[in-house]
Amino acid sequence: MAGVGFRRWAQALSKGKGSGISALLSGSRAASGSSKDTVLGPPPKSPEEMAAAAKKYNLRLEDYAPYPDKGEGFGDYPKLPDRSQAERDPWYKWDHPDLRRNWGEPMHWDFDMYIRNRVDTSPSPVPWSTMCKQLFGFIGFMLFMFYLGETFRSYQPVAPKQYPYKNLYLEKGGDPEKQPEEVKNYEI
Amino acid sequence: MADYREAPLASRPKTLDPNEYFNLSKEYRRAEEDRAAIRASLKMQYQTQLNNPHRKALIEDPALTRWVHARANPYLYFKPTFKTSLVGLLFGVVPLFGLYYIFKAHRDRKEAQIKAGTLDRKFSLSS
Repeated sequence: MAGVGFRRWAQALSKGKGSGISALLSGSRAASGSSKDTVLGPPPKSPEEMAAAAKKYNLRLEDYAPYPDKGEGFGDYPKLPDRSQAERDPWYKWDHPDLRRNWGEPMHWDFDMYIRNRVDTSPSPVPWSTMCKQLFGFIGFMLFMFYLGETFRSYQPVAPKQYPYKNLYLEKGGDPEKQPEEVKNYEI
Repeated sequence: MADYREAPLASRPKTLDPNEYFNLSKEYRRAEEDRAAIRASLKMQYQTQLNNPHRKALIEDPALTRWVHARANPYLYFKPTFKTSLVGLLFGVVPLFGLYYIFKAHRDRKEAQIKAGTLDRKFSLSS
């Protein structure tokens, strides 16, 4: 968008009738570029504006509903149902089969979110509440069991390793002359 | 499936929509016909352009152009209201300063611990 504006400015400068600044200020611009039909319009208020916007977006007047005007920048863009492209009929001959969309069809504001690779609003095979209960039930149960296992530990009995030769007295640097005390590593 | 219930992320399929089977009113059928007429005219426009043997250029889609323009110009009809300013503050200003202070405080505390020798390197493998 910025590139188009810059190009037009440069063209006006080079081809303008006046020189430099006066060409910019004359208000003349090229006839190419976007027409009013492809530009976002202001939020419609009167019935005529609503009818014109519905015609612009290829919607029936009854189907057209703009976003509520809360200053969020939607303009007159239609508020379409929040359904992903994955919900559309896979067997119908769409003009663009991967996007499941026909040419000229009004696109949802979040169309790039609702493509088939991303968010999918299609009906789930099992009711949502059942899925939530199963998933969180399983996770909760496993967490609880791990907590119990940490609190009440249970493993094979272990003891410190017992070494021969009076607990390795010589290897640990004990004096060879001295007689160390007797070490008993067993119990009968 | 007679007890299917919708959820926020799970909609009702068209084949389970009771309107398809029980709503035979003229208005509903007329509305469906109007939608079909719009769809048919768009289809014809597209197909004539697609099958035109002299066409060399891309077929441009005005709906796509409108969508791109709408998404690329969010501030054309933007109005600073209470809600939009609040959202701007929450997402733009608060994380900027908040994260700065969080990271700075955390790092200063870690530096003080290192200097005092009380840092507990719980997951260090080299010691």
